[in-house]
Amino acid sequence: MSNPPTMPVAVRGAAAAPLRWSARVRAAVSVLVALHVVALLVGPLSVPDSIVGRFLGQFYRPYLEIAYLNHGYKFFGPDPGPSHLVRYELELADGSRLKGIFPDRAEHWPRLLYHRHFMLSEFVMALSRPGDPGLPWEKQPLSQGQRVYARSYAHHLLEKHQGNRVTLYFVEHLIPSPKEVLDGMKLDDPRLYRTLKLGTYGADDFDDAVSTAMVAEARQ
Amino acid sequence: MNLVRGYLGELRREAVAGWNRFWFTPADPATLALIRILAGTMLLYTHLVWTLELSDFFGHDSWVSAEAAAMAHGGGEATSYVWSYFWLLRSPAALWTAHVAALVVFAILTLGFFSRVTSVMAYLIAVSYVNRVPGALFGLDQINCMLAMYLMMGPSGAAWSLDRLLAARRAGGRLPPAEPSTSANLAIRLMQIQMCVIYFFAGLGKLHGESWWGGDAIWGALANLEYQSLDMTWLAAWPLTVAVITQVTVYWELFFCALVWPRLLRPMVLALAIPLHLGIAFCMGMITFGLVMLIGCVSFVPPWLVRRLFMVP
Repeated sequence: MSNPPTMPVAVRGAAAAPLRWSARVRAAVSVLVALHVVALLVGPLSVPDSIVGRFLGQFYRPYLEIAYLNHGYKFFGPDPGPSHLVRYELELADGSRLKGIFPDRAEHWPRLLYHRHFMLSEFVMALSRPGDPGLPWEKQPLSQGQRVYARSYAHHLLEKHQGNRVTLYFVEHLIPSPKEVLDGMKLDDPRLYRTLKLGTYGADDFDDAVSTAMVAEARQ
Repeated sequence: MNLVRGYLGELRREAVAGWNRFWFTPADPATLALIRILAGTMLLYTHLVWTLELSDFFGHDSWVSAEAAAMAHGGGEATSYVWSYFWLLRSPAALWTAHVAALVVFAILTLGFFSRVTSVMAYLIAVSYVNRVPGALFGLDQINCMLAMYLMMGPSGAAWSLDRLLAARRAGGRLPPAEPSTSANLAIRLMQIQMCVIYFFAGLGKLHGESWWGGDAIWGALANLEYQSLDMTWLAAWPLTVAVITQVTVYWELFFCALVWPRLLRPMVLALAIPLHLGIAFCMGMITFGLVMLIGCVSFVPPWLVRRLFMVP
């Protein structure tokens, strides 16, 4: 008994279409394809850092950056960890105060816009450096990259709301264990949150000389 | 010695023939055209959502300042090759004009009008957006740009497009199905290879962590309130189920690059992509990311099946 066909007889029986490109064109395109396929491996091999990734990266970095191929593709790896939010307190020109957080489901809709704000807060975590094991999470020093981004967020909030001063806090939201959930713990239990102050920024803190110096320091 | 020489000769001949068959056999552009419609729609939606807070992300006082973007792109290197035309847009009027133009390009690409030109423009536009806002991005943007890159390499408007309709009108009636095209095959093959690379390293990256190996990583995703869109925490009482889903995810990603090629295994491998990515879409609220990964998987659907599924010759 024969199996039912999974593709039309005409397709199964047809010989492969003849090659149309000349051998010379195929050879040239083959070289480009081979170079490109190696390029696809360089990003993932470089995140986290590896000797092969670093070696290939010296040649491929311009291409990867121009073509937007410099990615590690480590989706939800190595572990799905806690999520991170940024809370802010603004002092407005009229003396009133405005508090907010990003991401915020009530404010950021549709979901894709929520995720854009979520990534802004998660990126602060991505910029962190190995911490000081002698200090609690709430007292860890900020990396230079985190300071540059915190300043950027502060500047945006001050300009958007015409504020005089803003204080930013970095909030880590831990994941409860299955046992804790079975024991009745809610996902938004206050015990699952911890907070690190990112800084306080005044409207007059933003001048070009300070920004340029910070970027130069961050690059080192 | 003759045996070795004979083996090496046959190996060379077969390798060259296989390489030519894989990359250079002309293919029906139906799959590429379907991906143009799906990816074009996703590009349009993704950029339409930027409209809601265009100035907040791309304006002068963006969330991501020029200094922050330079730092993120520089990463300690003296020279950066990252580019974006947004750095040239100095006024709100210029920003909004460019944004509306971008939306028009994505819409036209989706409809398949001047596809060869609009596909190149769509890629340049998509990369410009993402390079302006490092820190606000996630996997969706990487796959969007990947699809746009390969769409511009092949005749994505050769089927199911306004280009095709206009050609038919000029020819005085209905045209026969689009001619097989080498560049259509090349574009699809490159998409397939990149999907394999993405899944392989996504799987390999998970093995760096203890929770994917240990079996509770999926719990970490489901119990994350900021991602959660569907409450699945009842799975706390089902640790074995969580562990099986976790490990199937890792093994599926790791072996996708091998198992997707045999003809009889491909439908099963692709079928598993549907619950995986729809799970991400509906349980974790990442609908766009889940869908764009499925669009990437469409590259493995042969053109004859695409035509049969959509009942379009």
